[in-house]
Amino acid sequence: MNVFEYANPTTTKEAAGLLAAQWGEAEILAGGTDLLSLMKNYVATPKRVVSLRGIKELSGITSSASGLRIGAMVTLQELHDHKAVHDDYHSLAHAAGSVPSPQIRNLGTVGGDLCQRPRCWYFRNGFGLLAKDEKGQPLVPAGDNRYHAIFGHPGGSPGAYYVHPSSLAPALITFGARVKVAGPKGEREIPLASFFATPKREGERENVLMPNEIVTEIILAAASKGMLTATYEVRQKEALDWPLATASVALRMSGDKVKSARIVLGHVAPVPWPAHEAEKLLAGQTITEDSAAKAGEAAVRGAKALSGNKYKVQLARVAVKRALLEAAAHGKEGMQHG
Amino acid sequence: MHPEPPLIGQAVPRKEGRDKVTGRARYVDDLVFPGMMYGATVRSPVARGRIRAIHFDENIPWQEFTVVTAQDIPGENCVALILHDQPCLAAEIVNHPEEPVVLLGHPDKHLLEEARRAVRLETEPLPAVFTIEDSLAKKEIIWGEDNVFKSFLVEKGDVDSAWARAEIVVEGEYETGAQEQLYIEPNGMIAVANPDEGVTVWGSMQCPYYVHKALVPLFGLSKDKVRVIQAETGGGFGGKEEYPSMIAAHAALLAWKAGRPVKLIYDRAEDMAATTKRHPSRTRHRTGVTRDGKLVALEIDFVIDGGAYCTLSPVVLSRGTIHAAGPYECPNVRIRSRAVATNAPPHGAFRGFGAPQSVFALERHFDQVAKACGLAPDEFRRRNFVHAGGTLAVSQVIHENVDLPQLMERAFAESDYHAKRARFARENRDARVKKGIGFAAFLHGAGFTGSGEEYLASVVAVEATAEGRVRVLAASTEIGQGANTVFTQIAADTLGLDPELIDIAPPDTAAVPNSGPTVASRTTMIVGKLVESAALGLKQTLVSSGLPGERGGPEGRPCTSEEFQRACAEYIRKHGALRATCQYAPPPGIKWDDEKYQGDAYGAYAWAVYVAEVSVDTVTYEIRVDDFVAVQEVGKVIHPVLATGQIEGGVAQGIGYALYENVVWREGRMVNAQMTNYIMPTSADVPPIRVFFEENPYPFGPGGAKGIGELPMDGPAPAIVNAIEQATGASITRIPVTPEVLMEALEGVHA
Amino acid sequence: MPDAAKVRIAFRVNGSEHIVHAWPMARLLDVLREELRLTGTKEGCGEGECGACAVLLDGALVNSCLVPALHADGASIITIEGVAQGEQLHAVQQAFLEHGGAQCGICTPGMVLAAVNLLEKCPNPTEADIRNGLAGNLCRCTGYMKIFESVVAACKQQR
Repeated sequence: MNVFEYANPTTTKEAAGLLAAQWGEAEILAGGTDLLSLMKNYVATPKRVVSLRGIKELSGITSSASGLRIGAMVTLQELHDHKAVHDDYHSLAHAAGSVPSPQIRNLGTVGGDLCQRPRCWYFRNGFGLLAKDEKGQPLVPAGDNRYHAIFGHPGGSPGAYYVHPSSLAPALITFGARVKVAGPKGEREIPLASFFATPKREGERENVLMPNEIVTEIILAAASKGMLTATYEVRQKEALDWPLATASVALRMSGDKVKSARIVLGHVAPVPWPAHEAEKLLAGQTITEDSAAKAGEAAVRGAKALSGNKYKVQLARVAVKRALLEAAAHGKEGMQHG
Repeated sequence: MHPEPPLIGQAVPRKEGRDKVTGRARYVDDLVFPGMMYGATVRSPVARGRIRAIHFDENIPWQEFTVVTAQDIPGENCVALILHDQPCLAAEIVNHPEEPVVLLGHPDKHLLEEARRAVRLETEPLPAVFTIEDSLAKKEIIWGEDNVFKSFLVEKGDVDSAWARAEIVVEGEYETGAQEQLYIEPNGMIAVANPDEGVTVWGSMQCPYYVHKALVPLFGLSKDKVRVIQAETGGGFGGKEEYPSMIAAHAALLAWKAGRPVKLIYDRAEDMAATTKRHPSRTRHRTGVTRDGKLVALEIDFVIDGGAYCTLSPVVLSRGTIHAAGPYECPNVRIRSRAVATNAPPHGAFRGFGAPQSVFALERHFDQVAKACGLAPDEFRRRNFVHAGGTLAVSQVIHENVDLPQLMERAFAESDYHAKRARFARENRDARVKKGIGFAAFLHGAGFTGSGEEYLASVVAVEATAEGRVRVLAASTEIGQGANTVFTQIAADTLGLDPELIDIAPPDTAAVPNSGPTVASRTTMIVGKLVESAALGLKQTLVSSGLPGERGGPEGRPCTSEEFQRACAEYIRKHGALRATCQYAPPPGIKWDDEKYQGDAYGAYAWAVYVAEVSVDTVTYEIRVDDFVAVQEVGKVIHPVLATGQIEGGVAQGIGYALYENVVWREGRMVNAQMTNYIMPTSADVPPIRVFFEENPYPFGPGGAKGIGELPMDGPAPAIVNAIEQATGASITRIPVTPEVLMEALEGVHA
Repeated sequence: MPDAAKVRIAFRVNGSEHIVHAWPMARLLDVLREELRLTGTKEGCGEGECGACAVLLDGALVNSCLVPALHADGASIITIEGVAQGEQLHAVQQAFLEHGGAQCGICTPGMVLAAVNLLEKCPNPTEADIRNGLAGNLCRCTGYMKIFESVVAACKQQR
């Protein structure tokens, strides 16, 4: 770990003022579950670390008639245990609860989950986010790419091949979440769906934040009655590793028919990946094995597998299908209970 | 709690257990020496190359640092083991990524890490070899004349003429990947070294005398000037068999030059990337059988990837070779085996030591042979199991009263094998999540191979104090397996004493005799027997000098602790020290021919049948082991909790080997050297592991015990992959079975 | 680096108040091990995966290798050294001792704390609760069976 200055601001404004105008100069410390490893391996070498721990306004979940406001420093465990989240945003609670270990859930924060860096082993080994060799050639297409992207990558040319590691983003996007960010020029709100971005050049980041902006809160509109949601994760094993593919779905229903659907895939592209074709396909349909399978097919249309990750196309397809069936099953349970 | 004798067979509390559950146990990183500084290692960035220059960044205050290169080595620049081919620090040529080149020492850990990153090796790349195939094809000669560290040829009967009698011939090729030992305590050493006092190191290790052997020529010191002491060791599994010699050497070189104690602890990434892993392997089988499923000919070609230097590869190859034909009787066998060089960090010892590789191939292959004969896998095994009086591939006549059909029946009864196999076959047709049950039958030889134990000639001493306390002196290390507890049980029973009166001396080459390395499932069976014999010697000395009673007490009752104490005090007053030593002597009738590789390869074998039950989601490629039954015959079980724990732990490592643990290589370097990217089983991944012992005391083991440590590593992978085949019909020939491997295999089935 | 760059951290560890001066980049793990010489907390991976460095921070199980020491300012911490009451072992420790829950012992401090924390939050855990509650603590020796048995035994003992 390099030598750095530690700043412990007590207001968001102060924190934003401590950040630098260039990426890499300063880093934000939330739960620390990612940053400390990055710094230990010299993947991140900030001159200043700005802790958000002392900023009261970033904590807590407030539930109101207009919806939910989740502070960026809320831990995954708090999110998972929160009653309103559990009752009204089922797929989100599930996503928070599926995060690896109790220790990570106790430290990891909502803001940190959205801003954590990719797990890509080329990135973690110091080859950069775009993972190029000495000659500028991309390492991923020719190398071991079993866990890399099947969507949103440049298909052999230089560019981003990593997958976005956020556990919460797919579910949050299906709820139409908005992110509030604060910077030196004040606050702005961004739909989470447009928060993530694919870097074109080394040195750019995985989202639209300016280097001196901070995610302060997540805003969720009030849950609509009878909305059916689910998150389905495919994992190589039960605990501790990141999923191979995730699908979050949110269905607005009219009787047993889908009025509108939101479907977002995780761990398949450099950004959370919306499945718009599948969403359209489901409008007006009931969720059956057949319609869910077709939606799964539609969701992976256009997938571009790399040399070693063809299996992920299948996983993404199945994740969508199973998430839909699970959401529909919640609907049936709901009817039985109520 | 005072357990009643005999202690053998009872679950007495672990000797050092209290220190471990309270956090008081001191591991190497917990030790602090006055004036101590830290060490770091600068490693090769390339797989193979000529070192042109070493550049030191000007922004680092180098005058504060101790810098060691090959030129600073006082003696021979090698890590002495079997050959002297591996340098302690590369001088001109590097032969693998992560090869140590420069050592740095500084009191500030953080500054040290900055400095390590500020040393740049300028190298001229040389062509490198990364696969077994390329090495065998001599694409580039990177070691010796032909890239081959060692080869063996085992011949029994006449394979060439036997093919004519074979009615069915089945061929197959199998591959296994590298596996990281992943002990939770990374490697580390502390050294104090100077020309006056010599060299002393403390550290995490399995084999103090291996480290000693390596340090003597490195410093050109006499043996008594080198001292090696084991600290509490947080797991080894073979991973702390040979590499600690390298780390001890590095710490000692820094300390020698700096004139201060040096602590050198690897972090996880360094430990994973730079130290030894299990040898990757490729095995080809050609098997001839009669139509009714009797083996006629077995031809096996077994190759392991040894990495860049010889290290222990010949011995790993030897064990893999001998275990390659399993617990079966076949009149005609040829096993050809080779350990070859590649430009990867040397592969090394890991629980099972070559056997998990060759057993995986055999037990997968025999399911294919059974199918070709139209027999159930168990029926095929039953027709070919070796029995007492039969011979193994190395022509060893089995004198043990082994009953493999009975072990198999027990395993099947405990796992409900037959009923489940039938039910799964029925239900799988319509199921998305398909279930399967499979098994593997295998053996594992305890102790060093062939004449190895005779060459080692291990020694153990037992001494008593005037206060009536007994100390066991051995270099065998407690690495979690329970050696200290087992030695205590053996000594206490032999002497008829309260276990509280038994101390196990800390392994320290200045204080304990060389009882050999803590490897090869030899500690209980071989060293434990020496403890028993030495303790017996001590007692005989006391009895002959008047300790009351034939069994140590009047009327055959064991003597009381007070009587023992009085006798010790009396003896020591009259004669001085009370100490008995015992040196290994082979059991009668053991014969081994090192040239032909024929004879009694091991004094005794543990025998086992393991059954795995799996669920395979054929759509998401998720595999789950639902149940695991491990039945084995290991002689007498000395400590049921420790023995069961050994088996359970080995099975979990075997599950990881089969399904999860995948070393990803890029030009000889492990790129997933983080625990986030190299995944081992967690508490959420393991099935119930149900362990059963059949006891059949071995007359030459202490209390009848045989070795068990490595055994459980051999069976899980083939049992699991056999179960996957029942579930899916996919015949998978390589491990780990990661999702993409399963996908490929399933596509083969549907095509 | 000049000592002036060190920062002051006041916290309660195993019931006693401590004030230490640490480098800003120090992790809670470093402060516990090096400043307070509480070496029962182990470093297995340094990246939050293995759980050998787990401690209780204001009652929550965390990996101390991922906690900047400064984040512990004002907090109350329990390490493995604070689990037993003097010589009287905690039921979890006693159970690990008797049921083979500890082999090499390096994961044991973190594992014991995870188990203690689990039983505090969930006095009658199901098998799934135990498996999930310990899922952040890796053990390479035991295959976890004896650890599960130890937790179940401790649970019975506590009742």
